[in-house]
Amino acid sequence: MASMMRSRLLALRKGLFGSWWDGLITVALMAILLLALRAAAQWALKDADWSVVSTNLPLYLLGSFPPEEQWRPLSWMVTLLLLTLATALMPLWRITCPGAISSLLAKLLPAAWILSIPAGLLLLAGGLGLAPVATRSWGGLCLTLILTLMSGVLALPIGIALAVGRWSGLPLIRGVCSLYIELMRAIPLLSVLFFGQLLIPLFLPAHLEVNRVMRAVLALAWFAAAYVAEDVRGGLQAIPRTQQEAAEALGLSLQQVLGLVLLPQALRIALPSLANQAVGLLQNSTLLAMLGLVELLGISRSLLANPLFIGRYLEVYAFLAVVYWLLCTLMSLLARSLEHHLRTA
Amino acid sequence: MTSTPSVLSARHLAKTYANGHRALIDVSLEVQRGEVVVIMGPSGSGKSTLIRTFNGLESLDGGHLDVLGLPLDADGDPRMVQRIRRRVGMVFQQFNLFPHLTILDNLTLAPIWVQHRSRREATERAMALLERVGISEQAEKYPAQLSGGQQQRVAIARALAMSPELMLFDEPTSALDPERVKEVLETIRSLATQGMTMVVVTHEVGFAREVADRVVFMDEGKIVEINHPSRFFTAPTEERSRLFLSRIL
Repeated sequence: MASMMRSRLLALRKGLFGSWWDGLITVALMAILLLALRAAAQWALKDADWSVVSTNLPLYLLGSFPPEEQWRPLSWMVTLLLLTLATALMPLWRITCPGAISSLLAKLLPAAWILSIPAGLLLLAGGLGLAPVATRSWGGLCLTLILTLMSGVLALPIGIALAVGRWSGLPLIRGVCSLYIELMRAIPLLSVLFFGQLLIPLFLPAHLEVNRVMRAVLALAWFAAAYVAEDVRGGLQAIPRTQQEAAEALGLSLQQVLGLVLLPQALRIALPSLANQAVGLLQNSTLLAMLGLVELLGISRSLLANPLFIGRYLEVYAFLAVVYWLLCTLMSLLARSLEHHLRTA
Repeated sequence: MTSTPSVLSARHLAKTYANGHRALIDVSLEVQRGEVVVIMGPSGSGKSTLIRTFNGLESLDGGHLDVLGLPLDADGDPRMVQRIRRRVGMVFQQFNLFPHLTILDNLTLAPIWVQHRSRREATERAMALLERVGISEQAEKYPAQLSGGQQQRVAIARALAMSPELMLFDEPTSALDPERVKEVLETIRSLATQGMTMVVVTHEVGFAREVADRVVFMDEGKIVEINHPSRFFTAPTEERSRLFLSRIL
């Protein structure tokens, strides 16, 4: 242990102060870094007025959700956080907990994750005895989360279906899927979102109204599906053709070959890029602020328009940056834990 | 039809690849129940193509092929191919185990999904088969954790799990380390002694000599000679066979 530390320190010294020229660069960069850090700390601790964030934390968390119903989105978000922690710490409890409990937990987790989305929708929108809450009252982190989760969960099956269609030998299906994927990837997300808000109501009969949040989810999902499809197709192409032959030789039907042999392997291969798409989805949801949805960025914009907080740009955007950084870190942790689980399983 | 119909009957098979290469030219072969037929020949002679037509992995351009009494012709019905594959086992050069499944799940996949057996029944049968090929203690491991020889024995057990009436081996030992070849050949040999009908593409002369009932020698897409192994390896009738043997013996 001690010798390892020593060799690390030696390597560090060699890297940073290998020659007098290296040493000079190191010292200069350190100085710049220190100055920048000091300036940042000075601003954050002394000059900044964080009241814009601290007084509006409930707004950031829940938007203008009716106060007497706020336990609903709050309990949903706490559940999500607990699920995230349980999943991220899976390598830990898989080792420490006794076998029976650990395998029970491992079985329950995926089901809990799947259930968390309809449960969240129910808690937010109401129904089954809960008072209905209109989507225009949804906002903040809670809206960001439901937008990301729902569009991600929709994008995955659509993307897989598109990838399989493009992979299949049927020329018509293959052509349609390829055309869709290429078209969607050629259009900027913002215009897809505008199309979603403006066109979906036009196509639907007048009495059937899809609310703004659902329109946003649909547009995001169909957009992300094109990218998911490419990732899954990459995974399918990475599997040797002999896998398909071996499965066919056993008498499996084409659907079984895909579902039991090819897709499980393709999804494993695609997992890192799919996790990337999920992070992208979270960040892309901020575009919906342009369309008047008050998710995290939307809330920030409306706060900055409030005369009370005028000019507090730095505080608001620094806070937003930290929140998004935290969310993305949690998502990467989740993805890494899943990768680890699949590698050992 | 005779009283003992052939397990496999190929008449005038023809196959040309898209690039114009003629892989099979007028190939005819009958395999009787319980027979072990070894196909030999230089690389590119069409022996792999031939054995892969026997379960429909390669399509035919001409000729008539009956496998287990079912037609598998050029314009065959895809569902017929599936019916045949359920009764014909195949073992590949590269093992082709499913890397995301445990050894046990590799064996039970097809019995559960294709033959609709219960998981318990499939597992019991799979364990018995793993016992037979000598790797029962590895059942919960994944393919990548096994040696090449062990993987190939699992692949044989996977094919046997479907209770096939005909086993096809496409160069089963070509991808193995020399010291692993024997254990796989032993497994195949024990199958032969139990009366399994087999077609084996291989370069293993010793194996062919001892186990084969007939040796088929192919070159440039044609069958050059079909002979009993004792005669084929000592006094082949064809000049081309003699040349081939002089190079490998």
